[in-house]
Parts: sequence; C-alpha cells; structure tokens
Amino acid sequence: MNRTIVISQILVIEQAPGWLVAALNHAIIAGVLLIGGAITMMLQVWVERRLIARMQDRLGPNRVGPEGILQSIADGIKMFTKEDIIPRAADRWVHLLAPIVALAPIAMMLAVLPWGRGLVAVDLEVGVLYIAAVSSISGVGLMMAGWGSRNTFALLGAMRSIAQLIAYEIPLIIALLGIVLLTGGMSLARMPELQAGIPLFGSSIPGAPDLGLGWFIFTPVGLLGGIIFFICALAEGERTPFDIPEADSEIVAGYMTEYSGMKFAVFYIAQYLLNFALAVLSAVVFLGGWQGPGVAWLADAGLGAAASLLSLLWLLLKAWGLFMLMVVIRAAVPRLRVDQLMSFAWKYLLPLALVNVASAALWVGLTEWSSIEWGNLLPVDGLAPWQRIGVAALVTAVINLGATRWVLRINRAPAAAPVVVPA
Amino acid sequence: MTIEVKQLVRDLSIPSPGDITRPALAGERETMVLNMGPHHPSTHGVLRLVVELDGETVVNVAPDIGYLHTGIEKSMESKTYQKALVMTDRTDYLAPLSNNLSYVLAVEQLLGCTVPERATTVRVLLVELQRISSHLVWLGTHALDLAAMSVFLYGFREREQILDIFELVSGARMMTSYFRVGGLAYDVPPEFPAAVQALLAIMPERIDEYEALLTHNPIWLERTRGIGAIDTASAIALGVTGPALRATGFAWDLRRDMPYCGYETYEFAVPIARNGDIYDRYLVRVAEMRESVKICAQALDRLIALGPGPYVTSDRKIAPPPKSEITHSMESLIHHFKLWTEGFKPPRGDTLAAIESPRGELATYIVSDGSPKPYRVHFRAPSFVNLQALPHMARGHLVADLVALIASMDPVLGEVDR
Repeated sequence: MNRTIVISQILVIEQAPGWLVAALNHAIIAGVLLIGGAITMMLQVWVERRLIARMQDRLGPNRVGPEGILQSIADGIKMFTKEDIIPRAADRWVHLLAPIVALAPIAMMLAVLPWGRGLVAVDLEVGVLYIAAVSSISGVGLMMAGWGSRNTFALLGAMRSIAQLIAYEIPLIIALLGIVLLTGGMSLARMPELQAGIPLFGSSIPGAPDLGLGWFIFTPVGLLGGIIFFICALAEGERTPFDIPEADSEIVAGYMTEYSGMKFAVFYIAQYLLNFALAVLSAVVFLGGWQGPGVAWLADAGLGAAASLLSLLWLLLKAWGLFMLMVVIRAAVPRLRVDQLMSFAWKYLLPLALVNVASAALWVGLTEWSSIEWGNLLPVDGLAPWQRIGVAALVTAVINLGATRWVLRINRAPAAAPVVVPA
Repeated sequence: MTIEVKQLVRDLSIPSPGDITRPALAGERETMVLNMGPHHPSTHGVLRLVVELDGETVVNVAPDIGYLHTGIEKSMESKTYQKALVMTDRTDYLAPLSNNLSYVLAVEQLLGCTVPERATTVRVLLVELQRISSHLVWLGTHALDLAAMSVFLYGFREREQILDIFELVSGARMMTSYFRVGGLAYDVPPEFPAAVQALLAIMPERIDEYEALLTHNPIWLERTRGIGAIDTASAIALGVTGPALRATGFAWDLRRDMPYCGYETYEFAVPIARNGDIYDRYLVRVAEMRESVKICAQALDRLIALGPGPYVTSDRKIAPPPKSEITHSMESLIHHFKLWTEGFKPPRGDTLAAIESPRGELATYIVSDGSPKPYRVHFRAPSFVNLQALPHMARGHLVADLVALIASMDPVLGEVDR
C-alpha cells in the first residue's frame, strides 16, 4: 500500500548513493515544513489582527503591503533588531534554551500531519501517540522560561501553564482515543481515508456516491469528541478564554515577561504554530482531514495530482476555518480564572471524554462485532452494515446526550440571589 | 470599644507595605510577596499594590499610593480663583467637568453669586454626559482586564462621540475648564442640541449591546459574582461612596439626597443592587448610564425651551464683561483689568461643595482668607477613599480577582494622589 508520495522521487538520480537521496529527502521535507510553518504563522497573525479588528469596529494593520499583509514581516524585522536582554539574576542557559525547547516539538508535530491525499511527510503508525508525546514537551520549555527568568510574574505564569497543560492534555488525549477506537489504528495518515463517503454512513451503503463527507464529526462519538478536543485545543494553545498563563492584565506576560527581541518572537511563533497544528489536527481527526466533495471524483478520473491539490485546499480551508473560530471566540468572551479553568477540565471535560470512549467502544461493537462475539445475545449479523451504523448512532447519541445533560446538571452552581435594580 | 467594633476596626485597617514585606517570623506560614505596579497593565495608572500571596490566594494587600502626586491642591493656593480652576481638570482626568463643577459650586457658595438658569441646565447636561463617558471608560477597562476585549473598543467608540461634544462646546476634549465661576466660559454653539440628540438616540441600544456581551455571559458571571463583596456597614465605615456603596443596597446619591444644580427637578432613579460584589457594581453603573441618558434628554429639552439667554452671571465683579462692551465702556474696561490682574476677593470663611461624581462623592473644601487666592483647597476625592476598601475586599480571593476588583472600584490615580 503506497499511501505517501515521497517528495524526493522527483529527484532520484540514477547512480546517486542512497544516503544522498535520503539526506536530500529529509532536508527538503524539513525545509518545506519549516518555511511553510513560518509563512503560515505570519498569515495567522495577519488574519487574527484583521479579523478581530473587523469585529471590533476598527481597521487593524493595513499599511505594510496590500491590506497590510506584510505587517508580520515588518514586525519580524523589528524583533530582529531589538536588544536581547537577559536579566542579571536569570539562569543564562535555561533562559536561552527555553524558547527553543518550546518551539522545536511544535515544528516536529507538523511532520506527521497528513496535508492532503497522499501528502504526508512521515507516515507514522503511532501518529496519535507521537503527537500526544511531542506536544507535551513544549511545556518543559515554558517551565524553563518561567524558572530561568527569576521573575515572580514569569514563575506564576509558568506554573499556571504547566497546570493548565497537564489538566487539558488528559481530556484531549481521551477525546482522540475514541476516534482511535473507531479507526482501529493510531496512524494519522489513515484517518482521513476512513472518512470518505456520505455523512454518518461513510462508504457503508453500496452504490452511494463518495462525496468525501463521512467525517467523524457527523457521528455522535465524533461530535462530542470533537467539541471536547476543540475546547482542549483552545486551552493547549493558550487562547481566550483559556489564555491564563499570559493573562496580560494579571501577570503581565506570564512566562514571556523577561523575554525580548528574537527570543520573544520564537515564543510567539511557537504559540501560533501550535494553534495552527491543533487546528489541522482537529480537522484531520474530526472534520475529515483532506476529504471533501470532488477529491474522490478527481482521483477516479485519473487526475491524481489535481485530486491531491484539491484535498490540500480542503484541509487548509478547514484548518483556517477553525483558526478563525478561535479568533472570533477571543473577540467575544472574557477570560476564565485559573481555578475555574481547572474545575472545568476535571469536572466537565474529563467525565464527558470518558463516557465518549465508552460510546466509541459500543459503536465498534455494534458495527463490527459478529453475533458470536456478542455471545449470540444480539442478532447483529442479519443487518446490513449501514443498518448497524444507524443503530450504533442512535444508541451512542442517547448515551452522549444523557451524559452531557448529567454532567451539566451535577455541576450547576447553586442559584445566586437575584439582583434587583429598582426604578 | 465593644468586641464587634474592635473586630471591625481590625478587619478594616489598611496595611502598609512594610507590614507585608517584613520577613516571616518563626512559626509563621511563609508567603510570597508580589509587587503589582506601579508599572502594571491593570492598575489603572500608577497604583502600586504590595500583595502577599499564599499560592495564588491573596492574604493581604497594601496599596502604596503617591506615584502620581503632582501637588495640585498646593499649587492652587498660589493661583487666583479663576486660574486655579484649570488645575481641577487634572485630578480626576476621566471626569474633568465633574471636578470643574464641584470647584465652581464651592467658589460660588463663597461669593454667594447666582448662576443663570441656562448655565445650570448646560452644567447638568454636560456633567451627565461626563458620567456616561467616565462609566464607558470604566466598563471598557474592566472588561479588558477580564480579557473581554471588544467591549473596550465599543465603549470607546461612544466615548469618542461624547468627547466630540465637549470639544464642540469648550474647544478641548478632556481638559475642558468649561464651567467658570458664575456660569460657563462661552455659550454652547448652535450645533450643540443636534449633537447631543444624535448621541442620546443611539446610546440606549449601544448600552444594550454592551450588556448583550456581558450581563448574561457565564464566564463574566463566574468572574464577577460573589467576588470582592462588601456589606453596607463596612462600606459606610470605610467611607465608600458612589456606585460601590449603592451596589451594597444602600440608596445614597447626592443628586437625590442633597441636590445641587436643581437636580431635584429632574426625574431619574437611583439604581441599587444587593450583594455589593463586582457584578453588582457592574449592574449599578450600567443602570446609571441609562439614567444619565434620561437626565440628559430632560436637560436638553429644557435648554431648547429656555431659548437664548445669559450663560454667565451679570455680576461684573465675578465674570468678565463681553469684549464688545470693553471697547466703549470705561467701567467694563476697569472690571476686565481688575479681574485679570487681581481677581475677585471672596469674603473670609470656608465652604464645602459636594457633588455626585461618577466615582462617588466629590467635595471641594475651600478656605478663604479674603485674598484673591484660596488659602487652602482640599478635595474629598472618591477614588482615594474608595481605595481604602480594597484590602478588605481582596483578602481570600485570587490574584486574578484582585485585577477585577481594582477595575470594579474604578480608581483614577490622578484623583487619588492629587
């Protein structure tokens, strides 16, 4: 099964030594990902600033380049020319290394994401596990920054980040786990492939057209999982309403307080890249990744390159849509307090994520097990695959809805005394 | 003293920074000291707070003020009464017209001079607009401190319109010095009623917009309800006035209870709430903006009904004669000369004029020794007094709440330090 197009196939020169081809191969992939990442980050900053300005009845940056699109480059040049200040009391090496430790794992995350039909740099069989493991390394960088700066605000910010990252990583991974059960594997490259077909039923109905819309978000398990995942992604990416580690009105800039110049910029890049990587990941796992109407049709027509291009467009569209949703949320809501943030993760998201995993297991049982595996208790063999999916959807929808209502009810705050504003 | 009173005094006492920065004694729980400000994004100016933290919980707070001390009260002693007026703009720089009003009322009391109806009506109208603009700054920065960024920009959009009206009447957007002893500096221009009407027409729905973003927002409720509550007794003991006092359920508003400028003839409500927490202060201020809109509309109607007329007292010993008179009246020229070289001389004595500024009771106390310069001027500044309540309200809450708490007290450091 050759799912990936190895980019350097174009470059294979006869008689070239194998190690050279491999080295070129890796260099090209790394180059594309890093340059693409940098450009994406600049576009993100511009989109965020323009979009939020539009929501707030102002213009936003519109001077550098057409519509201000080159503003990020101007900012980058400014950052480069700023003095790099290391506080006298700081731990020099820890202070220096922290931004690098924060950025590197996020760049590594980009490698395993499937960017389009057949476009994946590294197809890891344990992609989900890899993402979970690598993304938590950058927390170490934040703690190093907070600790190394020897500043109370920085230390408070770092402690908040670590607490937040740990708390939200758990529901995030458990939300992914439900999908891992559904797909029966941890490969991220395989996930979009399983989301072909039509909503909910995927490719299970014979003769139904492949619209590329069999996204997991249309199943009850994927819907709840997707919502939990997106909320956790907001927290992992430190975005409003969870931007507590760098709550500027409380603790100045959190762990970044003592950073200036390019090291500050590296933290900034890390944050935006993480946001984007999480948006892509949400799209890949829950929104069908590169699947979309037209991709399968182009591929069947023998236009493989065009299909790949269209699939890349679909993925970018979804990822940018999710990123813009993050921006809109930032414009609309206030920030939670640190203890409220914690209780939200442990009291709402974690139980719901656990129920969702149980639902996912039930889904797998109802759609894939035979009657014998059910101990001849359920006569599932007689049903067509799409009928079994329908039954599973119904059952899991009831479970997930019930669990959501239950979690909301047990956590409801006691009603506060009504406030009267007399005339 | 009874035990309860002793307890109250201990609870309400204001710690000094030294109480917090001293090293922990043996057997005492060790705490962290966080220095918030004077350079901090959410201390609303240059307030410095020395915060004692146990984790993120506030154990004690010591406000350290004086970073914006500019000697306004002292400087006023070396200026004539007319010139000292300019300094009042700079105390509470978010409500300069309110300061102007308090000062000119005090001087007018000393002189015993009367003010034309037209001037009084314009004063009420502008002071209420000033209240709206000041509350808009409070709302915006309060929301911004809790990261609700858009409300800030929406609020400043409307504030801009109000500042345009101030510019229209006085030529200055913030440091207006528009109210003069005996009346106004100039008459309002003919465009004035239309500009105010345009603002009053949009204001109610704009306030609805802010409320739509905040009042029922679950995160906003979580962040503000039950935080930094104070009861009426403690609030009165600490001298808290204004919206913070009314949020505790005590309806005390000088405009209604000790009227000045003919406020008794206007129809308006005094909004109160019950719990005295941050959310209630928010509700009270938003309701106050709506009431101010009503007062403005009434004042504007009266102004239009009054028609053109004198805008400053005709007493030439207090207000200078118009330019046209100077060119052909010897007496006017002498008055003009006397007023701008020497100034007027109020009789010996002292006086206090209190108004309800956007932040609470603002009173100007003036002692006159019979010379053209005040012997002593003192402001009873609501920001300064309200700030006393901060340690009492903050204990036991988190650092993040402290930020919301400062914002909800709406201090202006120019007024605190003077």
